[in-house]
Amino acid sequence: MELKETIRSAIQALRMNILRSSLTMLGIIIGITAVILISSVGQGAVAFISNELTSFGTNFFSINPGNNMMSAITGGDEPLTTNDIEAIKNANIQNIDTIAAFSYTSKLISAGEESIRVSVYGMTPEAQELLKPDLIYGELLTENDSNNRVVVLGSDVVENLFGPDTNPVGESVKIDDIRFVVIGVSKSGGSLFGSFFNTAVNIPLDTLQNQITGSDDIAEIDISVKNTDLLNETMDEVEWVLRDHRNIADDEEIDFLMQSFTAALDTFKTITNLLTVFITGISAISLVVGGVGVMNIMLVSVTERTKEIGLLKAIGAKRKDILSQFLIESAVMTTIGGCVGIILGVGGTYLISIVANIPFIVSVPWILLAVGISVLVGIVFGLYPARKAAGLHPIDALRFE
Amino acid sequence: MKRRPEKVRLGFNMAKPNPPLISLEGVTKKYPIGLSDFYQALNGIDLNINEGEFVAIMGPSGSGKSTLMHILGALDTVTEGKQFFKGKNISSYSEDHLAEIRNKEIGFIFQFFNLLPRMTVFKNVERPMLYGGVPVSERKKRVMDALKIVGIADKAENLSNHISGGQIQRVATARALIMNPSIILADEPTGNLDTKTAHEIMDILTKLNQQGRTIVIITHEDDIANYAKRKIKIVDGKIVSDYGT
Repeated sequence: MELKETIRSAIQALRMNILRSSLTMLGIIIGITAVILISSVGQGAVAFISNELTSFGTNFFSINPGNNMMSAITGGDEPLTTNDIEAIKNANIQNIDTIAAFSYTSKLISAGEESIRVSVYGMTPEAQELLKPDLIYGELLTENDSNNRVVVLGSDVVENLFGPDTNPVGESVKIDDIRFVVIGVSKSGGSLFGSFFNTAVNIPLDTLQNQITGSDDIAEIDISVKNTDLLNETMDEVEWVLRDHRNIADDEEIDFLMQSFTAALDTFKTITNLLTVFITGISAISLVVGGVGVMNIMLVSVTERTKEIGLLKAIGAKRKDILSQFLIESAVMTTIGGCVGIILGVGGTYLISIVANIPFIVSVPWILLAVGISVLVGIVFGLYPARKAAGLHPIDALRFE
Repeated sequence: MKRRPEKVRLGFNMAKPNPPLISLEGVTKKYPIGLSDFYQALNGIDLNINEGEFVAIMGPSGSGKSTLMHILGALDTVTEGKQFFKGKNISSYSEDHLAEIRNKEIGFIFQFFNLLPRMTVFKNVERPMLYGGVPVSERKKRVMDALKIVGIADKAENLSNHISGGQIQRVATARALIMNPSIILADEPTGNLDTKTAHEIMDILTKLNQQGRTIVIITHEDDIANYAKRKIKIVDGKIVSDYGT
């Protein structure tokens, strides 16, 4: 029997039990929707993070205290200090362009009657340059502000202390009861770190160290390089300088964390890809469950249509005709389910991309794979019922009650 | 290509007669019951059906007449004995080989479940041609011609479950004719119909027989059997009478 006729006949058979066919497709629809949604949103997230990280530049690396991400945030056992920066500077590494550093603490800031708790960042001008804030009023910190009591306020802080749309440049604020002069207002440039600059205040690093915290601890050192191709070599050189300076033997683990955005990007991509594959694997379970549902319904269908199979055999249908009819019926059912799943998956991805503000990326290979998997599920799970139908003896089938 | 010399015949030049269309020799059919027992539906049947015959097979319920029709129609194989179709022993043919014979040589009309549900009359009649590989260009004309013969061409696009019992049997007859088979086998074709419609169907079959088509019907009604030229009576799996040969 011609394929076109078999497909037409299969669609007709499915239409006879439209509700049952639709419910059977549900497992496939959910599975394919999940696969498309997760893979597409995953790719969108990777693209978003890549853009954000790349916008900060791939020509520098950071050094944090401690040897893992957690201790990098909490400070680690052995903090980084201004001495470490001096050691790197003294090593005269050729490829180093600038060395930036910052530290932070949480303090109460007040202006007049208003006061709020904020993160106070001690920044070198280089660090401020590296984080690329948008200046709204006044100016950013410069070399001349070293050890001075000057502050650049985040836009949200200004709104809390002075009210909306106010230019506080020239006004004074108190941080930990020390009077500072406002020289500028800034807000975050990129969106990766959210409202980092909006809710913080920036003062010169040595002002923070000498007049507020009383310690020369540094939260992060950022080093930009002249030649990005030699970034890894420069990182190695800096590591050896710090090992030497901090008395860490060659075979000992370092007590600081060195990361470049390129490496972070690669790590992020690897994690996202692993997660995508993992979650897609879980979604595949839904496809197997859907497939079992298809097999179940096809077996019911074979039983219900036993007399029909007998009649078809009587008028000349061969084994392969019956086999292909039921196989195609099952494959058509899962393929329609797959197509509905793709539409829902792409639609869902579009909605998520709008809500989460990430790029809308639809992966064509994943869609093709989804279609392929749908057809395959139909064939694999339809094979047993189809073989059962094809193997019926014409007389037994015709006499079936 | 070198031609083979014609054989020089000596004596009378007698043409070899055509073999019977269907021939059964010592056919028995047993159905297993459980692991060790069996039910014998046919018991040593010898029967020839020749081209152009109109045969009625009669008998009470359980006599084996339906089993006999299944064997004649290559729907089933024999337990013992031989079954010939156009002179060929088909007793050991494979299921697919028998399906091909059924498709090309035999047209069936059943008492119940004759048509594919919720398909049009056209699609039902066309179906054997799909299995027989008839090109699409020929199919429409052949379906309409067959429907004209049974007087139901105007119902071609009706769904099979939206027509009357008499019309269903007419469609089944059209489908039985569509592959231009050597024989039409009808199993109680009028069993489900009122008297008037039953006679209309029998008139169609009679007309087809008059046009040279071989017809075998299974019936337990005398007035229906009277349409046939030959009546075979079967009781307990044996032929007890065979009139009109």
